[in-house]
Amino acid sequence: MAPPKAGKPVANIVTLLKRQLRAYFHTPMAYVIMVAFLVVAGLSFCRPLVQHLGEQIGIGELLFGAPYFWVTVLASIALITMPLFAEERRTGTLEMLLTAPVTDLQVVLGKYAGALIFFLLVTTPTAAYFILLKAVASGMAALDWMPVFTGYLSLWLIGSCFIAIGMFVSALTRSQVVAAVGCFVAVSILFFMDTVRLVLPGAAVQAALTYLSSTQHVQDFAQGIVDTRPIVFYLSLAVFFMFATVKAIEARQWK
Amino acid sequence: MIKVEHVTKRFASAVAVDDISFEVLRGEIVGFLGPNGAGKTTLMRLLATYLAPTQGRVFIDGLDVFLHSLEARRQIGYLPENAPLYPEMRVDEYLSFRAKLKGIPRRKRRERMEDVKVLCGLKNVERRIIGQLSKGYGRRLALADSLIHSPELLILDEPMIGLDPNQIRAVRELIGALGRRVTVVLATHSLVEAEAICQRVFIMNHGRIVASDSPEQLTGRLQGNVSVVAEIAGPPDEVAERLRCVSGVLTVQLVGPAARDLGRGSALWRRYRLGCHPGTDIRPAVFGIAAAQGWPLRELSLEVFELEDVFIKLTASVGRG
Repeated sequence: MAPPKAGKPVANIVTLLKRQLRAYFHTPMAYVIMVAFLVVAGLSFCRPLVQHLGEQIGIGELLFGAPYFWVTVLASIALITMPLFAEERRTGTLEMLLTAPVTDLQVVLGKYAGALIFFLLVTTPTAAYFILLKAVASGMAALDWMPVFTGYLSLWLIGSCFIAIGMFVSALTRSQVVAAVGCFVAVSILFFMDTVRLVLPGAAVQAALTYLSSTQHVQDFAQGIVDTRPIVFYLSLAVFFMFATVKAIEARQWK
Repeated sequence: MIKVEHVTKRFASAVAVDDISFEVLRGEIVGFLGPNGAGKTTLMRLLATYLAPTQGRVFIDGLDVFLHSLEARRQIGYLPENAPLYPEMRVDEYLSFRAKLKGIPRRKRRERMEDVKVLCGLKNVERRIIGQLSKGYGRRLALADSLIHSPELLILDEPMIGLDPNQIRAVRELIGALGRRVTVVLATHSLVEAEAICQRVFIMNHGRIVASDSPEQLTGRLQGNVSVVAEIAGPPDEVAERLRCVSGVLTVQLVGPAARDLGRGSALWRRYRLGCHPGTDIRPAVFGIAAAQGWPLRELSLEVFELEDVFIKLTASVGRG
């Protein structure tokens, strides 16, 4: 039999994506992350409701306004991305993967897509809270859905960007713990950039850091304001780190 | 099938492969033999496109593997050193995943999976989770994976480690049978294995090829290093003189008194190492002399070299010659 023909790039990516997703659900980690996330998100949702009982608050504040909700998001991303390359490097399966007739880019995209889909599966069930609130509080007929949608948009944007960063960190090490911690620190600094600003001098630097800070973006989105600048910022950062991951994988050949 | 031109692979701390050139013809079974750290695994990784050479070029079927990596990979079945697998997957699931990655069309996938499962004796574990399989099964699964796309070239890094003697024989026969159709390159540190399977053997040491020969030639060279140890109680000079006269004996070396029983029994016990011609067994003659002279003889044995010793000797002789 002649050697088989070239696999189509998309088919390869889908094959790799499916394997990655399956790998999540074949271990208890997936379920632990999902449950833990829903618990903390539930608390972030209830706390402002109880605190501001009888007052008027923006609906976007309920979930997306709570800092510990976002810390949980960052932690989940660190946990989701840590095995992507570190685990395969440790066990040696990376060698099997990268000697198969697939390009490094296809491997990176497949893994990225798998992690992103898993992230959506972890975060999207929180939408049930809003639906539940709507059902219970039938008096609030004029529930404004717009901030909810834009809140989720910010969540997905930040997710797609930070997963690329986590994947890159995972590609640099063979230890999952190092990958998780490295990713968590990196995305936390990026997310809370406006806090970093406080210790740095210079008005221009401070303004720039505020502009880059995710906490600022998230507040805007939670009020239903859609700004295209952060969208472009996160997506281009995601593309950059995917590219950097490909380079980190290719570097094996030259070390 | 394979052409390697002056390939060097340098890592930050060491040179793993040092200016190696060789060619392998289609259908050949070639073995790379060497002690640990000789650069075999690095060489296999270079051939399998996992690493790129620091200098030099590797061609597989006329394709430069650096420039045409994917085309080359499609012709290669590669079994890495530790047969890494995804422990959470099932055997069938894994083979199907690998078959898809290797671009085997859907209609042929089932058939190819069946073929390699039968070939590698995996039929009875096809539904099992890989992490729960024994090492031997894991290795056979990795071998099945390397065969699934009917590659033209098989690169096997230590294919026999972790297999029991029956499995070793089965894999040996499998490689022998495959060798009629495909080219096989394997790395091993076992002389016996290389002798049993390969038509040609390259001996590597410190990243270089120090000898290349057919196994028969190689065995001849190794037998040149075989020696006999005799422990005899008798006047040392006379014993040595007599032993030197035995036909087939090339050198007689006094290894020293048998230290452990100095002070008790005869002080005349000595160990002699006799270097001898390959292919002749001098032990009956040595016994004859000892018996005729009335010298007690309490040990007479062929000295078996550890592989490491053989390599040290081989590299030393190559260095001088």
